[in-house]
Amino acid sequence: MKNMMKSKRYALLLATALTVSSVLAGCGGGKSAGNVAASDSGAGNTGDPGKQVTISHYTIDSEDRTFIEKLIPDFEKTHPNIKVKVEKAPYEQFDSKLQTLIAGGNSPDVTSHYGYGGFAEYYNKDMLLDLTDLIKEDGFKAQDYNIPENLMKIYTVNGHTYGIPVNMYVTLMLYNKDMFDAAGVSYPPSDYEDKSWTFDHMVEDAKKMTIVSDDIAKTQYGVDFTWAERDMRPLYFGAEPYSEDTWTNGGVPSETHFDSPEVIAAYQKLFDLVFKEKVSPTSEWSKSVAGQNGDPFVAGKIGMSIGGSWNLAGANDFPFKIGVAAVPWGGNDKVRSTLFVDPLLILKDSKHPKEAFEWIKYLMTTEVQEKSIELSGGNPPVNTEAAEVYYKHFDGIDPGDVKKVYEGAVKYGYESYNHLITNYSQINDMFINELQPVETGHKTLEEVMPVIQKKVSEIIKR
Amino acid sequence: MSTVKATRPLGPPSRLRRRFKPVKLVSFITLLLTTFLMLLPLFFMVSTSLKSKREMLKFPPTFLPESWAWSNYTDIFETLQFGTLYKNSLIIAGFSVFGTLLSSALVAYGFARYRGRGNNFWFILLLSTMMLPYPAIMIPQFVLFSKMQWIDTFLPLIVPAFFGSAYNIFLLRQFFSTLPEELFDAGRMDGCGELRMWRTIALPLSAPALATVAIFAFIYSWNDLLTPVLYLSSSDKFTLPVGMASLTSSRFRIPPWHLLMVASVLAMVPIVTLFAIAQKQFVEGIVLTGIK
Repeated sequence: MKNMMKSKRYALLLATALTVSSVLAGCGGGKSAGNVAASDSGAGNTGDPGKQVTISHYTIDSEDRTFIEKLIPDFEKTHPNIKVKVEKAPYEQFDSKLQTLIAGGNSPDVTSHYGYGGFAEYYNKDMLLDLTDLIKEDGFKAQDYNIPENLMKIYTVNGHTYGIPVNMYVTLMLYNKDMFDAAGVSYPPSDYEDKSWTFDHMVEDAKKMTIVSDDIAKTQYGVDFTWAERDMRPLYFGAEPYSEDTWTNGGVPSETHFDSPEVIAAYQKLFDLVFKEKVSPTSEWSKSVAGQNGDPFVAGKIGMSIGGSWNLAGANDFPFKIGVAAVPWGGNDKVRSTLFVDPLLILKDSKHPKEAFEWIKYLMTTEVQEKSIELSGGNPPVNTEAAEVYYKHFDGIDPGDVKKVYEGAVKYGYESYNHLITNYSQINDMFINELQPVETGHKTLEEVMPVIQKKVSEIIKR
Repeated sequence: MSTVKATRPLGPPSRLRRRFKPVKLVSFITLLLTTFLMLLPLFFMVSTSLKSKREMLKFPPTFLPESWAWSNYTDIFETLQFGTLYKNSLIIAGFSVFGTLLSSALVAYGFARYRGRGNNFWFILLLSTMMLPYPAIMIPQFVLFSKMQWIDTFLPLIVPAFFGSAYNIFLLRQFFSTLPEELFDAGRMDGCGELRMWRTIALPLSAPALATVAIFAFIYSWNDLLTPVLYLSSSDKFTLPVGMASLTSSRFRIPPWHLLMVASVLAMVPIVTLFAIAQKQFVEGIVLTGIK
């Protein structure tokens, strides 16, 4: 019996030893990588131990974001004391990785709100570094980098600046020239001042191009109006769902008006495109034609598509001729376009904010911004001088049209709510879910909007 | 089919045979249709992987590619550093399977063959870890591994496998408990140590259970997306799922579905291979236990 106990103990010991040794064997593969992580925590162990500093830039793992890796060698040449490391994650996991990095004490230095969460969410979670002092100390001036003053204001709360704008996407209309030609309709204007280009005019044009047939291959629609996120759409018709104070106090609205008659009427007008005028596809049809995150416009089934200017980036691959036009006038004299301005932010836990700011300034220079357009495959810069290069970037589209559309969109633009309202990812998810039965025609807006109003106010209070 | 015919004359009279035939035919057709339905997505995966970028956008989609874009299968290696990703995934999955088998089999053996004080308590405690969802331990685990400076290495993805997993331990324990005590008594009489009995008696007799655990561990590690995303930061260390998720990452471009399908086809290969090998083990295992 005693013997058995002994052998059991030996067995246990051996098992432990075996496990440990195999763990060590497992180390072999990734051992060299350990050093990389070490350099993260301060001066690090690379090169001269005196001054060199490593900063990390956290971004989405897709070509239009990771192009910054190609800019690092030049930067490191001119800034020998700073090393830049790019950390990345797929879009869907961007937010959860960022939260874990920060909670785990491995906060990146520079990033942007590239995931679902927006600026206001970061701001209210106290994740951002106040750049005001850095800017003052450095003598940074927006006009030196050709950044329009009004864009700087977007990421300024109560006089404190928290982000430097780097890319600016606007809302624009893409149209399928082949479909216009086939229906004998004249192309829509790119000039925002053209007063004849109204929402009703657009509907008339769309009617001429819509063909609804039993043969799904022949069916096509005139227009797909996906102007901004769902909660923002009433603004296009002049109805304001969030109270004024939202934009001055860090994204917490004191009141919302989603059940007001104006807001409901605005949504009604958009849903009428699908159910009354029948010039727009239902969401089921879109999904069946183009898949879960596809776009039926790309498949050549839509005449006009209103959406973000990022749609332009894929334009060279579309199997038809394409044009850009102004967003028609819908009844709001001030707002016809949504702006999606992406800033560069320094996180509060950054150990090297000064060096991080150097890197941001480098990314903002006209030369680098111009280079970035090509490298990223068409990211629109905020730098107005570099923008001239951007307008010429798209094959087969008149640069004059792109320029006019961009300038008009900025003039009649409104910064996207998703950057400016707190807990936005939750609001957005809720909107998608609650509006679903309306999109499929199973419920009316009068039934749904009071529920949405109640839920929005709950989410905002969180 | 012909052999069936040959043996038939000895079987039941032909009238009876005819009465059973329609039922058989119906079930055969049903099976055929279900198989077809099951294979349809697989077919579209392969078919899409051979389409050009323009053809992939077409609606209605073409059944077979109009022009066969075999170059997709070489393009993927350029767009994704596919080779590196594949190698990384294989290394991590390989070590994970090895670690899971080793640790889970050892712990399960202990639970199955020894009675000690608090035996049940520890087993229930072990099983209760199954109720902890990963997000609950995500951040503390990250802090731990980050303090050990394991961030951006494969270690956080491999080492935990060497500490067993509740479900696999449970599975193996159940199997080990069915092995007859006499075998171990015989081993003991021959002067076999405990560890040797584990290795030479328990493990070989448990091939089917071990094969099951190996498949589970491999699939889990091969498909895992969140852990590699959290712990890996440099692109030369990414795994296949991270690379594939990145293909659809851009909010600004049409995802290259055709390349994604190429990646999916190639990602399936190890799983199918492993399953084929393990299935042989299954059958052998049944034969072996049948003899007992």
